[in-house]
Amino acid sequence: MFGKSKRLWPRAPMKTAYDAVIIGGGLHGLATAYFLARDHGITDVAVIEKNYIGFGGAGRNTAIVRANQRTQENVPLYKEALDLWPVLTKELDFNLMFYNCGNLNLAHGEATLKAMRLNVATAQFHGVKSQLVDPKECKELVPALDISDRPRYPVFGGMYHPPGGIVRHDAVVWGLAKGAAKRGVHIHQGTEVAGIGTSQGKVVSVETDRGKIHTPRVLNAAGGYAAALSHAFLRQRLPISVLTIQAMVTQPLKPLLDHVVSSGTYHCYGNQTLKGEIATGAHMDPWPNYTTDTTAYYIKHQAEALTEMLPCLKGVKFMRHWAGLADMTPDMAPIMDGNDPIEGYYVDCGWGYFGFKSSTVTGKYMAQFMAKGECPDILKPFQLKRFQEHRLMGETAALVNYSPDN
Amino acid sequence: MSLTLTCPICGERNGYEFRYGGEDKGPRPDRARLTPEQWCDYVHMNDCVAGVQKEWWFHRDGCGAWFTTHRDTRTGLETDGPDNAART
Ligand SMILES: Cc1cc2nc3c(=O)[nH]c(=O)nc-3n(C[C@H](O)[C@H](O)[C@H](O)COP(=O)(O)OP(=O)(O)OC[C@H]3O[C@@H](n4cnc5c(N)ncnc54)[C@H](O)[C@@H]3O)c2cc1C
Ligand SMILES: [Zn+2]
Repeated sequence: MFGKSKRLWPRAPMKTAYDAVIIGGGLHGLATAYFLARDHGITDVAVIEKNYIGFGGAGRNTAIVRANQRTQENVPLYKEALDLWPVLTKELDFNLMFYNCGNLNLAHGEATLKAMRLNVATAQFHGVKSQLVDPKECKELVPALDISDRPRYPVFGGMYHPPGGIVRHDAVVWGLAKGAAKRGVHIHQGTEVAGIGTSQGKVVSVETDRGKIHTPRVLNAAGGYAAALSHAFLRQRLPISVLTIQAMVTQPLKPLLDHVVSSGTYHCYGNQTLKGEIATGAHMDPWPNYTTDTTAYYIKHQAEALTEMLPCLKGVKFMRHWAGLADMTPDMAPIMDGNDPIEGYYVDCGWGYFGFKSSTVTGKYMAQFMAKGECPDILKPFQLKRFQEHRLMGETAALVNYSPDN
Repeated sequence: MSLTLTCPICGERNGYEFRYGGEDKGPRPDRARLTPEQWCDYVHMNDCVAGVQKEWWFHRDGCGAWFTTHRDTRTGLETDGPDNAART
Protein backbone atom coordinates (compact mmCIF):
# COMPACT_ATOMS: atom_id res chain seq x y z
CA MET A 1 0.00 0.00 0.00
CA PHE A 2 2.81 2.40 0.85
CA GLY A 3 5.74 3.01 -1.45
CA LYS A 4 9.25 2.54 -0.17
CA SER A 5 10.02 5.63 1.88
CA LYS A 6 12.72 7.84 0.44
CA ARG A 7 15.03 10.19 2.29
CA LEU A 8 14.06 13.81 1.77
CA TRP A 9 17.67 14.82 1.39
CA PRO A 10 20.76 12.75 0.66
CA ARG A 11 23.70 12.28 3.00
CA ALA A 12 26.56 14.39 1.68
CA PRO A 13 30.33 13.90 1.89
CA MET A 14 32.18 16.38 4.12
CA LYS A 15 34.44 18.52 1.96
CA THR A 16 37.43 20.53 3.13
CA ALA A 17 36.28 23.74 1.44
CA TYR A 18 32.94 25.42 0.72
CA ASP A 19 31.93 28.79 -0.75
CA ALA A 20 29.82 29.40 2.34
CA VAL A 21 29.37 27.69 5.70
CA ILE A 22 26.27 28.13 7.82
CA ILE A 23 26.38 27.37 11.54
CA GLY A 24 23.05 25.95 12.68
CA GLY A 25 20.47 23.79 10.93
CA GLY A 26 17.51 25.76 12.22
CA LEU A 27 15.05 27.64 10.06
CA HIS A 28 17.25 30.67 9.52
CA GLY A 29 20.28 28.63 8.52
CA LEU A 30 18.36 26.33 6.19
CA ALA A 31 16.42 29.22 4.62
CA THR A 32 19.62 31.16 3.96
CA ALA A 33 21.18 28.09 2.35
CA TYR A 34 18.09 27.57 0.23
CA PHE A 35 18.03 31.16 -1.04
CA LEU A 36 21.81 31.26 -1.62
CA ALA A 37 21.26 28.40 -4.02
CA ARG A 38 17.93 29.54 -5.47
CA ASP A 39 18.62 33.23 -6.03
CA HIS A 40 22.38 33.57 -6.28
CA GLY A 41 23.64 30.33 -7.78
CA ILE A 42 25.81 29.75 -4.70
CA THR A 43 25.30 26.03 -4.25
CA ASP A 44 28.64 25.06 -2.72
CA VAL A 45 27.24 25.58 0.75
CA ALA A 46 27.46 23.55 3.95
CA VAL A 47 24.94 23.73 6.78
CA ILE A 48 26.67 22.48 9.92
CA GLU A 49 24.30 21.29 12.62
CA LYS A 50 25.52 20.08 16.01
CA ASN A 51 22.48 17.92 16.74
CA TYR A 52 19.85 17.30 14.07
CA ILE A 53 18.04 19.85 11.93
CA GLY A 54 15.12 21.32 13.82
CA PHE A 55 16.68 20.51 17.21
CA GLY A 56 16.53 24.14 18.39
CA GLY A 57 13.79 26.73 18.30
CA ALA A 58 12.92 25.51 14.80
CA GLY A 59 11.29 22.37 16.19
CA ARG A 60 10.06 23.76 19.49
CA ASN A 61 8.13 26.91 18.60
CA THR A 62 4.37 27.29 18.76
CA ALA A 63 4.30 28.12 15.05
CA ILE A 64 2.40 31.39 15.18
CA VAL A 65 2.79 33.68 12.19
CA ARG A 66 1.61 37.29 11.90
CA ALA A 67 2.60 40.72 10.59
CA ASN A 68 1.09 43.15 13.11
CA GLN A 69 4.28 44.31 14.80
CA ARG A 70 4.73 47.79 16.18
CA THR A 71 7.36 49.45 14.03
CA GLN A 72 7.75 50.53 10.42
CA GLU A 73 11.00 48.59 10.06
CA ASN A 74 9.53 45.28 11.18
CA VAL A 75 6.13 45.18 9.51
CA PRO A 76 7.30 45.05 5.83
CA LEU A 77 9.67 42.17 6.64
CA TYR A 78 6.98 40.15 8.39
CA LYS A 79 4.42 40.96 5.70
CA GLU A 80 6.68 39.55 3.02
CA ALA A 81 7.19 36.49 5.21
CA LEU A 82 3.41 35.93 5.45
CA ASP A 83 3.07 36.24 1.69
CA LEU A 84 5.80 33.64 1.19
CA TRP A 85 4.05 30.66 2.85
CA PRO A 86 1.76 29.78 -0.07
CA VAL A 87 4.58 30.46 -2.56
CA LEU A 88 7.04 28.19 -0.75
CA THR A 89 4.46 25.47 -0.27
CA LYS A 90 4.27 25.18 -4.07
CA GLU A 91 7.93 25.79 -4.77
CA LEU A 92 9.22 23.27 -2.21
CA ASP A 93 6.47 20.83 -3.17
CA PHE A 94 5.91 20.32 0.53
CA ASN A 95 2.72 21.00 2.47
CA LEU A 96 3.65 23.66 5.03
CA MET A 97 0.08 23.52 6.37
CA PHE A 98 -0.49 27.27 6.58
CA TYR A 99 -3.68 27.56 8.62
CA ASN A 100 -4.78 31.13 8.00
CA CYS A 101 -7.01 31.45 11.08
CA GLY A 102 -6.17 35.03 12.12
CA ASN A 103 -4.88 36.31 15.45
CA LEU A 104 -6.82 37.98 18.24
CA ASN A 105 -4.82 39.91 20.84
CA LEU A 106 -6.80 40.81 23.93
CA ALA A 107 -6.56 44.12 25.75
CA HIS A 108 -7.54 44.30 29.40
CA GLY A 109 -7.25 48.05 29.84
CA GLU A 110 -7.10 51.41 28.09
CA ALA A 111 -3.28 51.52 28.04
CA THR A 112 -3.07 48.27 26.05
CA LEU A 113 -5.79 49.40 23.68
CA LYS A 114 -3.87 52.62 23.08
CA ALA A 115 -0.77 50.64 22.19
CA MET A 116 -2.88 48.52 19.85
CA ARG A 117 -4.14 51.65 18.08
CA LEU A 118 -0.54 52.39 17.17
CA ASN A 119 0.03 48.83 15.94
CA VAL A 120 -3.13 48.93 13.87
CA ALA A 121 -2.17 52.28 12.33
CA THR A 122 1.28 50.95 11.40
CA ALA A 123 -0.23 47.81 9.90
CA GLN A 124 -2.86 49.67 7.89
CA PHE A 125 -0.22 52.11 6.60
CA HIS A 126 1.69 49.12 5.23
CA GLY A 127 -1.39 47.50 3.75
CA VAL A 128 -1.61 44.77 6.39
CA LYS A 129 -5.12 43.91 7.60
CA SER A 130 -5.47 44.66 11.30
CA GLN A 131 -8.29 46.25 13.24
CA LEU A 132 -9.47 47.09 16.73
CA VAL A 133 -12.41 45.12 18.09
CA ASP A 134 -14.65 45.61 21.12
CA PRO A 135 -15.43 42.87 23.69
CA LYS A 136 -18.61 41.84 21.87
CA GLU A 137 -16.69 41.36 18.65
CA CYS A 138 -14.03 39.39 20.55
CA LYS A 139 -16.80 37.10 21.76
CA GLU A 140 -18.12 36.70 18.21
CA LEU A 141 -14.66 35.66 17.08
CA VAL A 142 -14.10 33.33 20.05
CA PRO A 143 -17.45 32.26 21.52
CA ALA A 144 -15.70 30.41 24.38
CA LEU A 145 -14.14 33.64 25.61
CA ASP A 146 -15.37 34.98 28.96
CA ILE A 147 -16.09 38.70 28.45
CA SER A 148 -17.95 39.10 31.74
CA ASP A 149 -16.65 40.94 34.82
CA ARG A 150 -15.72 37.63 36.46
CA PRO A 151 -12.04 37.27 35.37
CA ARG A 152 -9.36 39.09 37.27
CA TYR A 153 -8.59 41.05 34.10
CA PRO A 154 -11.85 41.44 32.14
CA VAL A 155 -11.65 41.82 28.36
CA PHE A 156 -11.62 45.50 27.40
CA GLY A 157 -11.14 45.13 23.66
CA GLY A 158 -8.69 43.65 21.24
CA MET A 159 -6.78 43.71 17.99
CA TYR A 160 -7.78 41.31 15.24
CA HIS A 161 -5.34 40.43 12.48
CA PRO A 162 -6.94 38.18 9.82
CA PRO A 163 -3.84 37.37 7.66
CA GLY A 164 -1.94 35.56 10.44
CA GLY A 165 -2.27 32.02 11.72
CA ILE A 166 -0.28 28.84 12.18
CA VAL A 167 2.27 27.07 9.98
CA ARG A 168 3.57 23.55 10.61
CA HIS A 169 7.13 24.31 11.78
CA ASP A 170 8.61 20.83 11.19
CA ALA A 171 7.33 20.92 7.64
CA VAL A 172 9.20 24.18 7.05
CA VAL A 173 12.42 22.61 8.38
CA TRP A 174 12.07 19.53 6.20
CA GLY A 175 10.82 21.41 3.15
CA LEU A 176 13.72 23.86 3.22
CA ALA A 177 16.24 21.05 3.84
CA LYS A 178 14.83 19.11 0.91
CA GLY A 179 14.82 22.19 -1.35
CA ALA A 180 18.33 23.25 -0.37
CA ALA A 181 19.79 19.73 -0.74
CA LYS A 182 18.17 19.35 -4.14
CA ARG A 183 20.04 22.45 -5.26
CA GLY A 184 23.37 21.09 -4.04
CA VAL A 185 23.63 22.28 -0.42
CA HIS A 186 25.34 19.83 1.95
CA ILE A 187 23.61 19.34 5.29
CA HIS A 188 25.93 17.90 7.94
CA GLN A 189 24.06 16.83 11.04
CA GLY A 190 25.79 15.66 14.21
CA THR A 191 28.66 18.05 13.47
CA GLU A 192 29.73 20.78 15.86
CA VAL A 193 31.40 24.02 14.91
CA ALA A 194 34.20 24.68 17.40
CA GLY A 195 35.78 27.85 16.04
CA ILE A 196 36.06 30.38 13.25
CA GLY A 197 39.46 31.05 11.71
CA THR A 198 40.31 34.59 10.59
CA SER A 199 43.33 36.12 8.94
CA GLN A 200 43.93 39.83 8.41
CA GLY A 201 40.38 40.68 9.38
CA LYS A 202 38.80 38.12 7.06
CA VAL A 203 37.11 34.77 7.63
CA VAL A 204 39.22 31.94 6.21
CA SER A 205 37.95 28.78 7.86
CA VAL A 206 35.60 27.06 10.23
CA GLU A 207 36.79 24.49 12.76
CA THR A 208 34.51 21.49 13.30
CA ASP A 209 34.75 18.23 15.21
CA ARG A 210 35.07 16.55 11.79
CA GLY A 211 37.95 18.72 10.66
CA LYS A 212 38.70 22.15 9.28
CA ILE A 213 36.66 23.67 6.46
CA HIS A 214 38.14 26.46 4.35
CA THR A 215 35.62 29.13 3.48
CA PRO A 216 35.47 32.88 2.84
CA ARG A 217 31.99 33.28 4.36
CA VAL A 218 30.31 32.04 7.46
CA LEU A 219 26.86 32.75 8.87
CA ASN A 220 26.23 32.41 12.58
CA ALA A 221 22.63 31.19 12.67
CA ALA A 222 22.95 29.17 15.85
CA GLY A 223 19.70 30.49 17.38
CA GLY A 224 19.88 30.53 21.18
CA TYR A 225 23.56 29.59 21.03
CA ALA A 226 24.60 32.34 18.60
CA ALA A 227 25.66 34.84 21.27
CA ALA A 228 27.72 32.28 23.21
CA LEU A 229 29.46 31.18 19.99
CA SER A 230 30.11 34.76 18.93
CA HIS A 231 31.79 35.43 22.26
CA ALA A 232 33.67 32.14 22.42
CA PHE A 233 34.93 32.15 18.81
CA LEU A 234 35.51 35.84 18.09
CA ARG A 235 35.33 37.63 21.47
CA GLN A 236 32.42 39.58 20.00
CA ARG A 237 29.82 40.21 22.69
CA LEU A 238 26.18 40.71 21.76
CA PRO A 239 23.33 42.50 23.55
CA ILE A 240 21.52 39.24 24.17
CA SER A 241 20.08 37.36 27.14
CA VAL A 242 19.26 33.70 26.57
CA LEU A 243 16.14 32.60 28.43
CA THR A 244 14.09 29.41 28.48
CA ILE A 245 10.58 29.60 27.13
CA GLN A 246 8.02 26.87 27.76
CA ALA A 247 5.02 25.60 25.85
CA MET A 248 2.51 22.79 26.26
CA VAL A 249 -0.48 21.09 24.64
CA THR A 250 -3.70 19.74 26.12
CA GLN A 251 -5.50 16.56 25.22
CA PRO A 252 -7.39 16.84 21.90
CA LEU A 253 -10.80 18.51 22.09
CA LYS A 254 -13.69 19.11 19.69
CA PRO A 255 -13.24 22.32 17.67
CA LEU A 256 -13.83 25.33 19.91
CA LEU A 257 -11.17 27.87 19.02
CA ASP A 258 -10.86 29.17 15.46
CA HIS A 259 -8.18 31.83 16.04
CA VAL A 260 -4.89 32.33 17.79
CA VAL A 261 -5.80 34.12 21.04
CA SER A 262 -3.26 35.94 23.13
CA SER A 263 -3.10 38.20 26.13
CA GLY A 264 -0.01 40.07 27.21
CA THR A 265 -1.56 40.77 30.60
CA TYR A 266 -2.06 37.07 31.31
CA HIS A 267 1.29 36.21 29.64
CA CYS A 268 -0.54 33.53 27.74
CA TYR A 269 -1.40 32.63 24.19
CA GLY A 270 -3.07 29.62 22.64
CA ASN A 271 -4.59 28.10 19.57
CA GLN A 272 -6.29 24.86 18.70
CA THR A 273 -4.14 22.66 16.50
CA LEU A 274 -5.53 20.75 13.56
CA LYS A 275 -5.43 17.66 15.82
CA GLY A 276 -7.67 19.43 18.34
CA GLU A 277 -5.12 20.06 21.08
CA ILE A 278 -4.89 23.50 22.63
CA ALA A 279 -1.25 24.51 22.10
CA THR A 280 -0.28 27.23 24.50
CA GLY A 281 2.79 29.16 25.43
CA ALA A 282 3.79 31.39 28.27
CA HIS A 283 6.27 34.10 29.08
CA MET A 284 9.96 33.27 29.39
CA ASP A 285 11.59 31.86 32.48
CA PRO A 286 13.13 34.91 34.13
CA TRP A 287 16.82 34.03 34.25
CA PRO A 288 19.35 33.20 31.51
CA ASN A 289 20.15 29.57 30.99
CA TYR A 290 20.80 26.94 28.35
CA THR A 291 18.71 24.19 29.92
CA THR A 292 15.47 23.35 28.25
CA ASP A 293 13.89 22.36 31.55
CA THR A 294 10.17 22.63 32.09
CA THR A 295 8.77 23.67 35.45
CA ALA A 296 5.62 22.98 37.45
CA TYR A 297 5.40 26.74 37.97
CA TYR A 298 4.42 27.22 34.33
CA ILE A 299 1.91 24.36 34.25
CA LYS A 300 0.06 26.11 37.06
CA HIS A 301 0.49 29.53 35.48
CA GLN A 302 -0.79 28.30 32.15
CA ALA A 303 -3.75 26.45 33.62
CA GLU A 304 -4.79 29.54 35.58
CA ALA A 305 -4.39 31.98 32.70
CA LEU A 306 -6.10 29.80 30.09
CA THR A 307 -9.13 29.02 32.25
CA GLU A 308 -9.53 32.67 33.16
CA MET A 309 -9.92 33.55 29.49
CA LEU A 310 -11.57 30.31 28.32
CA PRO A 311 -13.39 28.84 31.37
CA CYS A 312 -14.63 25.83 29.37
CA LEU A 313 -11.05 24.48 29.51
CA LYS A 314 -11.34 23.79 33.26
CA GLY A 315 -10.46 20.16 33.96
CA VAL A 316 -8.80 19.62 30.58
CA LYS A 317 -5.45 17.81 30.88
CA PHE A 318 -2.06 18.88 29.60
CA MET A 319 -0.48 16.06 27.62
CA ARG A 320 2.99 17.33 26.71
CA HIS A 321 5.20 20.15 27.90
CA TRP A 322 8.54 21.28 26.47
CA ALA A 323 10.92 24.22 26.37
CA GLY A 324 13.37 25.95 24.07
CA LEU A 325 15.69 28.92 24.14
CA ALA A 326 14.85 32.54 23.38
CA ASP A 327 17.76 34.86 22.60
CA MET A 328 16.37 38.24 23.61
CA THR A 329 17.69 41.68 22.73
CA PRO A 330 16.77 44.80 24.74
CA ASP A 331 14.58 46.19 21.93
CA MET A 332 12.87 42.93 20.99
CA ALA A 333 14.25 43.15 17.47
CA PRO A 334 16.78 40.80 15.88
CA ILE A 335 20.40 41.44 14.95
CA MET A 336 21.23 40.91 11.30
CA ASP A 337 24.64 42.07 10.32
CA GLY A 338 27.78 41.15 8.44
CA ASN A 339 31.22 42.14 7.22
CA ASP A 340 31.69 44.32 10.29
CA PRO A 341 34.31 44.26 11.67
CA ILE A 342 35.33 40.86 10.25
CA GLU A 343 34.95 40.45 6.50
CA GLY A 344 32.95 37.37 5.63
CA TYR A 345 31.42 36.92 9.07
CA TYR A 346 27.64 37.26 9.13
CA VAL A 347 25.24 36.97 12.01
CA ASP A 348 21.48 36.45 12.15
CA CYS A 349 20.23 36.09 15.72
CA GLY A 350 18.37 37.77 18.55
CA TRP A 351 15.11 36.33 17.27
CA GLY A 352 13.87 35.56 20.76
CA TYR A 353 10.47 33.92 20.74
CA PHE A 354 9.41 35.43 17.40
CA GLY A 355 11.86 34.10 14.81
CA PHE A 356 9.78 31.36 13.24
CA LYS A 357 7.41 33.63 11.36
CA SER A 358 10.24 35.60 9.76
CA SER A 359 12.66 32.77 9.01
CA THR A 360 12.06 32.38 5.29
CA VAL A 361 12.19 36.05 4.37
CA THR A 362 15.22 36.56 6.57
CA GLY A 363 16.93 33.70 4.76
CA LYS A 364 16.16 35.40 1.48
CA TYR A 365 17.76 38.71 2.49
CA MET A 366 20.68 37.21 4.44
CA ALA A 367 21.46 35.18 1.31
CA GLN A 368 21.49 38.41 -0.72
CA PHE A 369 23.73 40.02 1.92
CA MET A 370 26.17 37.07 1.81
CA ALA A 371 26.18 36.87 -1.99
CA LYS A 372 26.65 40.59 -2.66
CA GLY A 373 28.56 41.56 0.47
CA GLU A 374 26.29 44.56 1.00
CA CYS A 375 23.49 44.85 3.51
CA PRO A 376 20.08 44.97 1.77
CA ASP A 377 18.11 48.13 2.70
CA ILE A 378 15.36 46.17 4.42
CA LEU A 379 17.91 44.71 6.89
CA LYS A 380 19.81 47.92 7.60
CA PRO A 381 17.78 48.97 10.65
CA PHE A 382 18.71 45.67 12.32
CA GLN A 383 22.47 46.17 12.40
CA LEU A 384 24.39 45.76 15.65
CA LYS A 385 25.67 49.32 15.79
CA ARG A 386 22.19 50.60 16.63
CA PHE A 387 22.89 49.82 20.28
CA GLN A 388 25.94 52.02 20.35
CA GLU A 389 24.14 54.78 18.51
CA HIS A 390 21.11 54.69 20.82
CA ARG A 391 18.85 53.90 17.87
CA LEU A 392 17.08 51.05 19.55
CA MET A 393 13.94 49.88 17.81
CA GLY A 394 10.57 50.57 19.28
CA GLU A 395 9.11 47.06 19.27
CA THR A 396 8.61 47.57 23.00
CA ALA A 397 7.65 50.94 24.39
CA ALA A 398 10.55 50.89 26.85
CA LEU A 399 13.93 49.24 27.02
CA VAL A 400 13.74 45.78 28.54
CA ASN A 401 15.95 44.17 31.08
CA TYR A 402 14.92 40.54 31.23
CA SER A 403 13.31 39.65 34.50
CA PRO A 404 9.96 38.44 35.84
CA ASP A 405 8.77 42.02 36.00
CA ASN A 406 8.39 42.36 32.27
CA MET B 1 15.74 20.51 38.19
CA SER B 2 14.36 23.87 39.13
CA LEU B 3 16.44 26.72 40.43
CA THR B 4 17.04 27.51 44.07
CA LEU B 5 19.25 30.38 45.15
CA THR B 6 21.06 31.02 48.38
CA CYS B 7 20.22 34.46 49.71
CA PRO B 8 22.96 35.62 52.11
CA ILE B 9 20.25 36.51 54.63
CA CYS B 10 17.38 34.06 54.09
CA GLY B 11 19.32 31.00 52.93
CA GLU B 12 18.24 28.64 50.14
CA ARG B 13 14.96 29.73 48.55
CA ASN B 14 12.89 29.01 45.41
CA GLY B 15 14.33 30.79 42.35
CA TYR B 16 11.01 32.39 41.42
CA GLU B 17 11.29 34.57 44.57
CA PHE B 18 14.24 36.39 43.03
CA ARG B 19 14.78 38.87 40.28
CA TYR B 20 17.79 38.31 38.02
CA GLY B 21 20.02 41.38 37.95
CA GLY B 22 22.35 40.65 35.05
CA GLU B 23 25.86 39.35 34.48
CA ASP B 24 28.43 40.77 36.87
CA LYS B 25 30.30 43.23 34.66
CA GLY B 26 32.53 44.72 37.34
CA PRO B 27 32.44 48.35 38.44
CA ARG B 28 30.51 50.95 36.46
CA PRO B 29 32.92 52.64 34.03
CA ASP B 30 34.31 56.02 34.94
CA ARG B 31 32.25 58.86 33.43
CA ALA B 32 35.25 60.88 32.42
CA ARG B 33 36.45 60.03 28.91
CA LEU B 34 33.70 57.40 28.51
CA THR B 35 33.24 56.46 24.83
CA PRO B 36 29.91 55.28 23.33
CA GLU B 37 31.58 51.90 22.73
CA GLN B 38 32.50 51.46 26.38
CA TRP B 39 29.10 52.58 27.60
CA CYS B 40 27.27 50.32 25.16
CA ASP B 41 29.51 47.47 26.23
CA TYR B 42 28.70 48.02 29.89
CA VAL B 43 24.97 48.57 29.44
CA HIS B 44 24.00 46.12 26.72
CA MET B 45 26.64 43.52 25.94
CA ASN B 46 26.70 40.10 27.56
CA ASP B 47 29.11 37.16 27.53
CA CYS B 48 26.20 34.67 27.39
CA VAL B 49 28.53 31.99 28.70
CA ALA B 50 27.36 28.40 28.43
CA GLY B 51 28.99 27.49 31.75
CA VAL B 52 29.59 29.13 35.10
CA GLN B 53 29.01 32.87 35.35
CA LYS B 54 29.00 35.40 38.16
CA GLU B 55 25.72 37.24 38.30
CA TRP B 56 23.56 39.63 40.31
CA TRP B 57 20.30 38.70 42.04
CA PHE B 58 17.71 40.60 44.04
CA HIS B 59 15.58 38.83 46.68
CA ARG B 60 12.41 40.52 45.49
CA ASP B 61 9.81 38.42 47.33
CA GLY B 62 12.00 38.18 50.42
CA CYS B 63 14.37 40.37 52.35
CA GLY B 64 15.24 42.69 49.47
CA ALA B 65 18.97 41.94 49.48
CA TRP B 66 21.13 42.34 46.34
CA PHE B 67 23.95 39.81 46.06
CA THR B 68 26.18 38.06 43.54
CA THR B 69 26.45 34.33 43.09
CA HIS B 70 27.95 31.82 40.65
CA ARG B 71 25.65 29.67 38.58
CA ASP B 72 26.15 27.17 35.76
CA THR B 73 23.90 28.28 32.89
CA ARG B 74 23.93 24.74 31.46
CA THR B 75 22.28 23.25 34.53
CA GLY B 76 20.68 26.31 36.11
CA LEU B 77 22.34 25.35 39.42
CA GLU B 78 24.39 27.50 41.76
CA THR B 79 28.05 26.59 42.11
CA ASP B 80 30.50 27.27 44.93
CA GLY B 81 32.68 29.46 42.77
CA PRO B 82 33.87 30.05 39.24
CA ASP B 83 34.84 26.37 38.78
CA ASN B 84 32.31 23.77 37.67
CA ALA B 85 31.47 22.13 40.97
CA ALA B 86 27.76 22.17 41.67
CA ARG B 87 26.84 23.15 45.22
CA THR B 88 25.73 20.13 47.21
C1 LIG C 1 8.63 27.46 23.08
C2 LIG C 1 8.89 28.40 21.92
C3 LIG C 1 7.82 28.99 21.26
C4 LIG C 1 8.04 29.84 20.18
N1 LIG C 1 6.96 30.31 19.49
C5 LIG C 1 7.14 31.05 18.37
C6 LIG C 1 6.02 31.46 17.60
O1 LIG C 1 4.87 31.12 17.92
N2 LIG C 1 6.24 32.21 16.50
C7 LIG C 1 7.50 32.58 16.11
O2 LIG C 1 7.64 33.30 15.11
N3 LIG C 1 8.59 32.18 16.81
C8 LIG C 1 8.45 31.42 17.92
N4 LIG C 1 9.55 30.99 18.63
C9 LIG C 1 10.89 31.45 18.22
C10 LIG C 1 11.54 30.64 17.11
O3 LIG C 1 11.39 29.27 17.35
C11 LIG C 1 13.04 31.00 17.02
O4 LIG C 1 13.21 32.40 16.98
C12 LIG C 1 13.69 30.42 15.77
O5 LIG C 1 13.43 29.06 15.65
C13 LIG C 1 15.21 30.67 15.81
O6 LIG C 1 15.81 30.50 14.58
P1 LIG C 1 16.38 29.09 14.04
O7 LIG C 1 15.25 28.19 13.71
O8 LIG C 1 17.28 29.40 12.93
O9 LIG C 1 17.18 28.59 15.32
P2 LIG C 1 17.34 27.13 15.96
O10 LIG C 1 16.31 26.19 15.50
O11 LIG C 1 17.51 27.32 17.41
O12 LIG C 1 18.70 26.67 15.27
C14 LIG C 1 19.96 26.83 15.80
C15 LIG C 1 20.70 25.52 15.58
O13 LIG C 1 22.08 25.72 15.82
C16 LIG C 1 22.61 24.53 16.30
N5 LIG C 1 23.90 24.80 16.93
C17 LIG C 1 24.15 25.41 18.12
N6 LIG C 1 25.45 25.45 18.36
C18 LIG C 1 26.08 24.89 17.30
C19 LIG C 1 27.45 24.64 16.97
N7 LIG C 1 28.45 24.99 17.79
N8 LIG C 1 27.72 24.02 15.79
C20 LIG C 1 26.73 23.65 14.96
N9 LIG C 1 25.41 23.87 15.22
C21 LIG C 1 25.10 24.47 16.38
C22 LIG C 1 21.55 24.03 17.26
O14 LIG C 1 21.66 22.64 17.49
C23 LIG C 1 20.26 24.41 16.53
O15 LIG C 1 19.70 23.35 15.78
C24 LIG C 1 9.37 30.15 19.75
C25 LIG C 1 10.44 29.57 20.43
C26 LIG C 1 10.23 28.70 21.49
C27 LIG C 1 11.41 28.08 22.16
ZN1 LIG D 1 16.69 37.19 51.36
